[in-house]
Amino acid sequence: MDKRLKILVCIKQVPDTNAVVHVNDGIPEYDDKTVYVINRYDEYALEEALQLKDSGVTLHIHTISVGPARVQKVLRRSLEMGADEAYHMLIDGDAINNPAIIAKAIIQFAQHDYDIIFTGVMSEDAMNQQTGQLIAAMTGYNYATGVTELSINKNTIKITRELDAQESMVYELQLPCVICVQSSINKPRYPSLSNVLRARKQEIVMIKPDTMIPNKKTNCYFTVPQKTTQCQFIEGSVSQQVSQLYTILHKHAVL
Amino acid sequence: MSILVIADVKNQTVNPSTLELITIAQKIAKQKNLPVNLLIPFVNIGGDSYCASEFKTYIVNLNIEQYSAPTLVKHISNIIREVDATYIIGLHTPFTIDYVPSLSVILNAQCMTQIHSLDVGESITVIRGSHAGKLDQHIIINETPIIITILPGSFEPYTISEMQNNNITTIDIPEVDKRVNCEFITKEMTDKSLDEADVIVGIGKGIGSQENVSLVYEFAKVFPHSAVAGSRIVCDYGWLPYSKQIGITGKSISPKVYIACAISGSSQHVAGIKGAKTIIAINKDPYAPIFNVSHYGVVADIFEFIPQFIDFVKGKQNL
Repeated sequence: MDKRLKILVCIKQVPDTNAVVHVNDGIPEYDDKTVYVINRYDEYALEEALQLKDSGVTLHIHTISVGPARVQKVLRRSLEMGADEAYHMLIDGDAINNPAIIAKAIIQFAQHDYDIIFTGVMSEDAMNQQTGQLIAAMTGYNYATGVTELSINKNTIKITRELDAQESMVYELQLPCVICVQSSINKPRYPSLSNVLRARKQEIVMIKPDTMIPNKKTNCYFTVPQKTTQCQFIEGSVSQQVSQLYTILHKHAVL
Repeated sequence: MSILVIADVKNQTVNPSTLELITIAQKIAKQKNLPVNLLIPFVNIGGDSYCASEFKTYIVNLNIEQYSAPTLVKHISNIIREVDATYIIGLHTPFTIDYVPSLSVILNAQCMTQIHSLDVGESITVIRGSHAGKLDQHIIINETPIIITILPGSFEPYTISEMQNNNITTIDIPEVDKRVNCEFITKEMTDKSLDEADVIVGIGKGIGSQENVSLVYEFAKVFPHSAVAGSRIVCDYGWLPYSKQIGITGKSISPKVYIACAISGSSQHVAGIKGAKTIIAINKDPYAPIFNVSHYGVVADIFEFIPQFIDFVKGKQNL
């Protein structure tokens, strides 16, 4: 019997932080030139799985991304970083930012077959901060969010959860469980050349989503954020801006 | 039908920002003509003033050290059913976000997180930041129950009147899992600079590298009582220590002036700077969301602007 732990890392692909997004009739549209990258928090989650493996815990690391064809790029990246297998579930449209749909899709694939499911604490674009919790609630797995430290001991995992800059909580969870990783947990690696070459030959396995019951219909639209302050822009050349800001700060009695 | 406010926990006591949730609950209550109930998720977390308030209060008879999201979710969902809560309101903090979305699975409810404003009229619309803070997502609530988490600092705190009505119900939990034992760790903050400074200069990802951080320290030095802080990503990259992180997962600050340098202004960061009396943003991207919450904006490259500013101030001082 294979006693290796099975780990699934859920990865979202997101527009990079410089991406330009417009709103057209309430619907967001990214610029054609948008570059898509691995969600930063998911990269920490993958790195944590890889570090567990490096530390001698024997495990299989699989990655999954639910999204349109373009997400294959981040799955390839996950193989380059050292994942053993990568799976792509093709879903497009609004659903990719709906945590309940994504959680269901991941469970459909995972089939209670994994000992640990890793996610990032949130996605950088939608920022829902729900997918991991929903996977756990739908499967009945134990879970923890905002995890900044972990260690495995047989069937338990000891985690540290960050509450704020000063306070954290430490407790143990029984496996199987879902771990939502916070960014300060590690420093993600750059893929080694040998892994990049290995990953080239690896296949990204396509999975068909079951016909999914859409989440309750939400009536939603997007806008450019309203200004909560009346921002007074300081115009002119840099030197003009400098002297004007100096005057403002002087009036505020901090200079 | 009713509205349920779930108290958040900070430093193992009820987070005072819970009062901001009551403000929202009252707004909805007025429009929908519904009663507001409070839920304190643990015993011994100092919820006395809430228990003495005008609101009916439910307390889960669980010690915070026995925290387990599945246990809490099970019992809170029972209370929600009992009081037929249609609007369930929590605070968007790392503590509460751990378990509140899971309620939506049991209750077959929608869950909307990180809400920063609400339009309460004939229908209720909740508004949250999306697309990395570049857009607002407006969700018109057309079905209940609904679970929402609210960004701290988005609403004025409600003043509860202590009527000593003691309308309290304790929810006993049969068979608490005795193996569950959470330990709370509090790091001592030796760095008090962010609490004491009149001017805080914040650094964002746009600073580019650790070498450039010294430029911002030089900039901060021109102000008599100043400190340097940063967004989470700057700390993640190791350019600043985590003790200098501002935002939901870091510190909340309230200086006279906050100067955000090359910070885009995600809602995670903005939640921590709401206490600043004046916010100034310097960013080369005129569309950066930080300008939406700033009083003064400078569209400029910090690497051009800051050195010139330092020289200008030095010139003034030498006069």
